[in-house]
Amino acid sequence: MSRIGVFVCHCGENISRTVDVEQVAKAAGEIPGVAYSCDYKYMCSDPGQTLLKKAVAEHKLDGVLVAACSPRMHEKTFRKAAESAGLNPYLCEMANIREHCSWVHEDREMATEKATGIVKLMVERVRKGKSLAPITVPVTKRALVIGGGIAGIQAALDIADAGHRVVLVERDPSIGGHMAQLSETFPTLDCSQCIMTPKMVDVANHPNITLYTYAEIEKVDGYIGNFQVTVKHKARSVDESKCTGCGVCMTKCPKKKIPNEFDQGHGMRPAIYVPFPQAVPNTPVIDRENCTMFQSGKCGVCAKVCGPGAVDYEQTDSFTVEDVGAIVVATGFKLYTIDRKPEDSPIQGYGEFGYGTIPDVIDGMTFERLASASGPTGGKILRPSDGKEPKQVVFIQCVGSRAREKGISYCSKVCCMYTAKHTMLYHHKVHDGQAYVFFMDARTPGKGYDEFWRRAVEEEEAVYIRGMVSRMYQKGDKIVVMGSDIQVGVQVEIEADLVVLATAVQAQDGADLLAQKLGISYDKYNFYSEAHAKLKPVECATAGIYLAGACQGPKDIPDTVSQASAAAAKVMTLFAKDQLERDPVVAKVNEKYCVGCFACKKVCAYGAIEEKEIRDRQGNLVKKVAYVNPGVCGGCGTCQATCPSKSIELDGYTDEQIMAMIEAL
Amino acid sequence: MTPGKKKLSYSYYPGCSLHASGREYDISTRALFKALNVGLKEVPDWFCCGATPAHNVDELLSLSLCAKNLSLADQVEGDLAVACAACFSRLKTTQHHLKEDETKRKQVEYAIDGPASLNKPVKHILEILAREYGLAKLEESVKKPLMGLKVAAYYGCLLTRPPEVPELDDCEDPSIMEDILRALGAEPVKWSHRMECCGANFTLSRPGVVLKLSNAILESARLAGADCIMVACPLCHGNLDIRQKEIKEAYGAPDSTLFGSIFGSDLPLSTTSEDRRDLPIFYITQLAALAMGVASQSLGFESVIIDPKPLLRDKQLL
Amino acid sequence: MKNKLMHLSNETMNVGFVKKVEALSGSSVRRCFQCGKCSAGCPMSTFMEHPPNRIVRLLQLGQGQRVLAGRSIWYCASCETCTTRCPNKVDLAAIMDALRKLSWDADGPSKESYVQLANRLFIENIRTYGRQYELRLGAIFNMKSGQFLKDLMLGPKLLSKGKLKMFHSKNRNIGDIEGIFKRIEEMRKKGEAL
Repeated sequence: MSRIGVFVCHCGENISRTVDVEQVAKAAGEIPGVAYSCDYKYMCSDPGQTLLKKAVAEHKLDGVLVAACSPRMHEKTFRKAAESAGLNPYLCEMANIREHCSWVHEDREMATEKATGIVKLMVERVRKGKSLAPITVPVTKRALVIGGGIAGIQAALDIADAGHRVVLVERDPSIGGHMAQLSETFPTLDCSQCIMTPKMVDVANHPNITLYTYAEIEKVDGYIGNFQVTVKHKARSVDESKCTGCGVCMTKCPKKKIPNEFDQGHGMRPAIYVPFPQAVPNTPVIDRENCTMFQSGKCGVCAKVCGPGAVDYEQTDSFTVEDVGAIVVATGFKLYTIDRKPEDSPIQGYGEFGYGTIPDVIDGMTFERLASASGPTGGKILRPSDGKEPKQVVFIQCVGSRAREKGISYCSKVCCMYTAKHTMLYHHKVHDGQAYVFFMDARTPGKGYDEFWRRAVEEEEAVYIRGMVSRMYQKGDKIVVMGSDIQVGVQVEIEADLVVLATAVQAQDGADLLAQKLGISYDKYNFYSEAHAKLKPVECATAGIYLAGACQGPKDIPDTVSQASAAAAKVMTLFAKDQLERDPVVAKVNEKYCVGCFACKKVCAYGAIEEKEIRDRQGNLVKKVAYVNPGVCGGCGTCQATCPSKSIELDGYTDEQIMAMIEAL
Repeated sequence: MTPGKKKLSYSYYPGCSLHASGREYDISTRALFKALNVGLKEVPDWFCCGATPAHNVDELLSLSLCAKNLSLADQVEGDLAVACAACFSRLKTTQHHLKEDETKRKQVEYAIDGPASLNKPVKHILEILAREYGLAKLEESVKKPLMGLKVAAYYGCLLTRPPEVPELDDCEDPSIMEDILRALGAEPVKWSHRMECCGANFTLSRPGVVLKLSNAILESARLAGADCIMVACPLCHGNLDIRQKEIKEAYGAPDSTLFGSIFGSDLPLSTTSEDRRDLPIFYITQLAALAMGVASQSLGFESVIIDPKPLLRDKQLL
Repeated sequence: MKNKLMHLSNETMNVGFVKKVEALSGSSVRRCFQCGKCSAGCPMSTFMEHPPNRIVRLLQLGQGQRVLAGRSIWYCASCETCTTRCPNKVDLAAIMDALRKLSWDADGPSKESYVQLANRLFIENIRTYGRQYELRLGAIFNMKSGQFLKDLMLGPKLLSKGKLKMFHSKNRNIGDIEGIFKRIEEMRKKGEAL
C-alpha cells in the first residue's frame, strides 16, 4: 500500500474562487493509498513548500501530488522540494486544476467535481510512477560556426577567446560576407573594411580556430554535446598548403573579363581569383565554369607561372567529419531582386520598374560598391550605363519589403538607415547633385539612428518624399520616376540619372536545405526560427544549435554582433560543464518484444532512434531492434503511440500509468 | 521694486487701441492704478507699435517701430507698463529678437538712428498686479469683493505665446488671470477655450473668420456656466464684445447657418438658441477697479456694446 | 496649381527662395518632419487650402510659387500656436511672416487682396499719422475693397459709444517716424537688408 500526500493549492483566489479546495482535499484523503491531504493558500510560497517537506517526513510519504497550476509553471519547484525532503523528484507530480479547471469554468459545484476527478487520476499516476535518474551525456567542447560573415566571425572569435576550439565553415572562397562589401556603415560612417578586415585576420591567426573556406555542410548527425558534422571541401584547384598568395596566377590568367560577384557584377575578375584584395585566406580559387583549362583543356597558364606549384587541376571535393558539441548558424541573407520570377514563385518581381532591365536602376549593395574606395569605380559615383556622374539620384525604399502582393510582408529593417547613409555618401561625393528618397515610413529605432536620418534631411539636403513610386521608364538617357508626395497631395515626376532600390532582405538560397540537415525549424520566408521570440532569441528549438545574425531575420550590424556574442555565450555556458544533464523522460525499448519494424524510427521528429543489432555469443545476428538515443530523445511519446508491438515506452508516461489514470475516472 | 518700501511707479505705453476703440481699458487702467496708489506716467509722443500688420509683411519695420517706442519710453522713469496684449507682445518680441540677432539689431539701430533700448523691463498689467503689487496685497486692498461673479478668464494668443517671449506664465496652462480673479473675490470658471484665437485683426479684412472663432469662445464660456468673460487685450475685447450680436445672428438661430455653411462644419459644442445669453466682456482692469471700490461711472461701461450693468446689478456689485 | 503635377529637379526647386525664407524667419525649413502638429492646432486651418504643415512641405520641395499662389499665408492669424507647440522648434509663425513679406514685395500673386489691403492701410496710417486712425482705416478699407456697406451699422454705433473718433491728429514726432521708413527703404535699396 502506497503512502501518497495530496496538497491542494488555492492559488490566492485563482483556484479557490471557483473550486471548493477544502472539499477536493477531503475527497483526496479518502482515496485508498493517500496517507495525507490538505489545502493551502499558496503552495509555491516558502511556507507552502515547507508544509510539503514536513508532511513527507512526518507521514513517511512515498509519493506527492500537488493540485495547483500547470506543471509548466511549478513542476520544477515542487520536484525540488520533494527531492530535498528525500523523495525521488519524479515521484512528485502536479494536477492542473487552474488552467484546466478553475480558470475555464464558472459553476462551482461542477468545477469542484472536475478538480476532484483530476486529482483522482493523477493520484493513480503517482502510484504507478517510478524513480528516475537524470541522464548525463558527455560534452565535446568544440564548436562549429556556419557562415563567415560578421555574425560568424564574431561568434567564432568570442568562443575561441574563451579557450574553446572552433571550426568556422564558409561557403565562399573568403570570409567577410556582406559587411566586407559595404563602403561605410551607419550611424557613424566608419569605413566597413577598416573595422572588418582586422577581425578577418584575427580569425585566420587564432590558434583555436580552424577555418574552412569554399566549404559547405554536407551532413549533421548526433545531438547536443555530441554532433558529428560532415564538411564538404569544394575543390579549390589550388593547394592551400603550398600557395603563398603571390597573385602571379591572377595577373597571368588570360581570361579576365568575368563579372566579379563581390562587386555585384560591376567589376571584372580572372578565372583564377580571390574575391577581393583583403580576402582571408589570400588563396585563389579557380572558377571552373569559366576556366579555359577546365572547359577545353587548353591553357594551363596559371600552373606554369605558379612558383610553388600550388595549382592543382586534378583536385576533387573532399570531406571531413568534425566532432563538435554546439553549432552556431550564421548564414546571413541575400537581397531581393526585381526581375521577373518564375510563374509558380510566391515572390514576384517589379514589372512597373522594368523587371531589372533598366541599366541605371541598381540595388543598394551595388551603390555600396560604387561608393567604396575598393570598388569598380574607385569610389566615384558613376552610373553603370555610360560611366557618367549622375546629378539627380532617386532612392526608393521598401522595394520588395512590406509589399504583400509581391510576396514579402515583413520590414527589412536596415533599408531606412542605409538609404539615409547613401544620400549622405552621394552628397559628399557629388556636391552639385541632388538626392531624392521616396519612402513610406522612416523606421529608425536605435541609438543615434533617428538623429542620423534627420542629419541626411537637414544637413545633407536629401529631399525625402513620403509616397511610393508607381512606375519608372527609360527616356533618352534619363529614367522618368513617377511618384507622389502624399503630404502635399500631388503627383511628382523626377527625371533621374540613377535610381537606387532598397531591396528586401531575404533568407539565403538553400537556407531551408541547411535547416533540414540541422533539424531546425524555419518560417515561410526561410528565416530560421528561434525557440522563443522574447526569452530564447538565440536558441533553436533543437538543443545545442544557436542562431546569429540575419539568417534569423533582417538585422543590422550592431544587432548581428550582439546576437553573435549572445550565441557564443550560450555555447560557453554549455561548455562550462563536462557532462550535460537531461530530463530522464525519454523512451525506452523493450528489446525482448521489439520486432524491428522501425515504425518508430520513421515518426521520430528528433532522429533519436537507431537500429541496433542483437547477436548471440557466437556473434551471429539474432535480430535488429530499435534503440533510443537518450541524448537526442525529446520525450514526445510519438513512438510509444506508434509501436504496433507495444514494446517502446516513455518513462513517466508508461501505458500502465495511463491505463490506471483512465480507470480512476 | 518691493511694494511697501517705495511707491510703485511705471512708465506707460497705452497703444493706439486704448486711445480709441479700447478707451475703457485705458480709463479703467488709470482708475485702478490711482486706487492702488501706483504711479503711471504716459510715454510722450509714443506711436503705433505696428501690431500684427507690420510684422505680417515687414519684420524689420515692426522691430524698428517698437525699438523707437522703447527708446521714447527710456525717457520716463520706471518699468514700462503695457495693457494691450498685442503691444506687449510686439515690444517683448523686439527686445527678444534684437538681443539674439546682432545683424537685425544693427539694421534697426540704423533705422531708428540711435541705440535700441533692450533692457527696459516691459511689464504687462497682469504681472504688475499679480507679482509686483502682489496677490496678497491686492486681496487686502479689495473693498467690494466680486462675490458670486463667475468669470471666464480669456488669455487669447499673445499673452503667453511663444513661450520664450512674453515670460508671463505657462504657455499651455497659465493661471495668472484666475489668481487675480480669486484675489478679487470672483469665481473663475474652468473652461476649454481660454487660449484659443478670437480671429484677431481679421475683424477688418475677413470678419467671417472672427465670427466663427469668437463664437466658439463664447459658446465654451456659456457651457462652463460663466456670467461674463474677462480679457486683457483690446482686440479680443472688440471681437467678443462688438461682434457678439453679429455672432448671435450668424450662429444663434438653428436655421441661420450662413457662416457655418461657408466656413465648414458647425461647432461640436453648442448651446440652444435660448441659452445664447449675452456675455458681458470685461477688461481685467475694470473688474479689479470695481473690486477696489472705484465708482462704476469712471470705468467706461458706457462704451461697451454688451451692457454689463444688468449682470453687475444682479450680483449686487453696482 | 494646387494639384498640378510637380516636376522635381535642381531647376524646378527654387532653393534661393527657401533660403530667403529661412534668413528672414531665422528658422530652418528642413527641420520639419511633417508630424502635423501645427495644422492640428491651427485655428485657421479650415480656411486654408494648404494647411500649415503643407506650406512647410512645399518649401522643403522648393515650391515657393505654389505657396504664394494660394491664400493660405494670408489666413494665418499670427496666434503663434504652431510655433509654441512645434516639436522641432520650427518657427512657423515667423516663416509665415517671411512668406507674406516676400509675397508683398512681389506685389502678388496673392488672391487675398483684402488682407493685404488692410495691412497696407494700417502701415500707411502709421506713416501718415503715427497712431492708428481707426475710422479712416475702416472707411478707406470699405472704399478700396468696394464693400461700401460692410459694418455699415457698426460705425455710427461705435462713434456714439466713443470707440471711434471722428478726428485724429498727427504725432508731433511724425518726422522721426518718416525717417524710420526712409532709412529702411534706403537699406533695402543698397541691399543691406532683406
